[in-house]
Amino acid sequence: MTGTRAAGNTPVREAARRGALLQLVRPVARTVPWWALAAGGGLGLLAAALPRLSGGEVAPWAGVNALRAAALCFALGAAFLLDDPARQTTAAVPVRRVLRHALRCALVLPPAAAWWSAAVLLVPEEARPPVGDITLEAATALALALAGAAFAVRRRGAERPGQAVAAFLLVTAVLAPLLSPSEWALFTAPGDPRWADAHGHWTLLLGAALVAVAVCCVEPVRRRTLRTLRSPSRT
Amino acid sequence: MSPTVSASGLSLQYGATRALDNVSLRLSPGVTGLLGPNGAGKTTLLRVLATAVPADRGAFTVLGHDPSGARGRQEVRRRLGYLPQTPGFHPDFTAFEFVDYVAILKELTDRPARHREVRRVLDEVGLADVRGKRIRKLSGGMRQRVALAAALAGDPAFLVLDEPTVGLDPEQRMRFRELIATAGEGRTVLLSTHQTEDVAMLCHRVVVLAGGTVRFDGTPAELTARAAGRVWSSEGRDPGALAGWRTGLGTFRNVGDPPPGADLLEPTLEDGYLLTLDGAAAEVTA
Repeated sequence: MTGTRAAGNTPVREAARRGALLQLVRPVARTVPWWALAAGGGLGLLAAALPRLSGGEVAPWAGVNALRAAALCFALGAAFLLDDPARQTTAAVPVRRVLRHALRCALVLPPAAAWWSAAVLLVPEEARPPVGDITLEAATALALALAGAAFAVRRRGAERPGQAVAAFLLVTAVLAPLLSPSEWALFTAPGDPRWADAHGHWTLLLGAALVAVAVCCVEPVRRRTLRTLRSPSRT
Repeated sequence: MSPTVSASGLSLQYGATRALDNVSLRLSPGVTGLLGPNGAGKTTLLRVLATAVPADRGAFTVLGHDPSGARGRQEVRRRLGYLPQTPGFHPDFTAFEFVDYVAILKELTDRPARHREVRRVLDEVGLADVRGKRIRKLSGGMRQRVALAAALAGDPAFLVLDEPTVGLDPEQRMRFRELIATAGEGRTVLLSTHQTEDVAMLCHRVVVLAGGTVRFDGTPAELTARAAGRVWSSEGRDPGALAGWRTGLGTFRNVGDPPPGADLLEPTLEDGYLLTLDGAAAEVTA
């Protein structure tokens, strides 16, 4: 081994890991598919601005749906966040996948927050839904997109899962309001008596999506198939 | 000498397909060739040994480290270089930037030392002149060398190369063979290939894999010897041959069990390989 790699005890390893993470910021920032996020964000801002652009008084349902459309557009762009054409080339490196994915997410979070603030401000105040609740919906959409991408990476080692995940997310977003049972209504309007319950469900969904992201970002050290679960002993 | 890699009973199944079936092998310093037809399980075995995918069953160690736990896997990864079958790149990176990126992922965190190492491996693969060029502007052969440089970064003790010469023209292939031969000096290299010439020229040992199982494990000379007395020349294609093809001289070269009085020929590694594959070889008839 060359002397460039930190070797030996755990503290040195920890320092190496931290050092690697800091030095990864710049190259990883260059590998983030900013074009997809920009396209999703741009379309989202357009969707959020539509009620204001249409003129006249804006109904609360129009405001909430504009922000939902905006959040969906951004989530579609975020589905490409884990696209990495060099995934196979970097499949067996010591810096863990979970750290690399976390770094990508961390890089995107500040611009995403700024973008969402702008989207919310584009909706006229009188039509603006409760900001905390609609932000919860947007965060869930983003988390679902990331969970889908992380699942595809873990399951198939997909280099570019973005397109398939975005398509799946779009279809789900269209079908969910039509197919979800009324007691599990997610897409309610402000003032609807089910609004609070619906956001309880959004919270559950967000929690589940974040757990899925966390689980899928970790590289498995052993395969869990029905066959191995039935016979777990490894020779 | 204790082996660099020691694997026993490795098995892996994708759905109904058994990609690896109870594979055991030991690898020592030098270049070991891994031969086998398409779907033999070569890439799966390499991916398992590179810790890119875990096996369903079985165990292996690399320099004494067991990758069946997260910590052990990290230790193995700190000691290996992996060139996948179809390496991908960030095309807007220059060759230097990409290898530097992989070097950071290999925890080479001392920047000046890492940059020296990146320059060293790019020199080693003959890309010193184009290290500032974007990968999108490099030829296929040059990209393959960038991927090899990335695998070599950090001077790994165990190098896993999955069909590195596929798609290269003869001159590039010869250049790659030189690189692999150099890389095999002092470290353990596992080279998957379809090219028996690669194995004949580079490897001190060869493993033949078919149907997910090891069919042969020995020296190239031993594999060639399997075909001794089983290669013959004839005017027409011998229907009793396992495989046969017309040569440039107009005669047929047959492999299998020769008829009495056949005009026997000197066997090659490829003949031994075809006979080792047994039934699979019958599909190779021309």
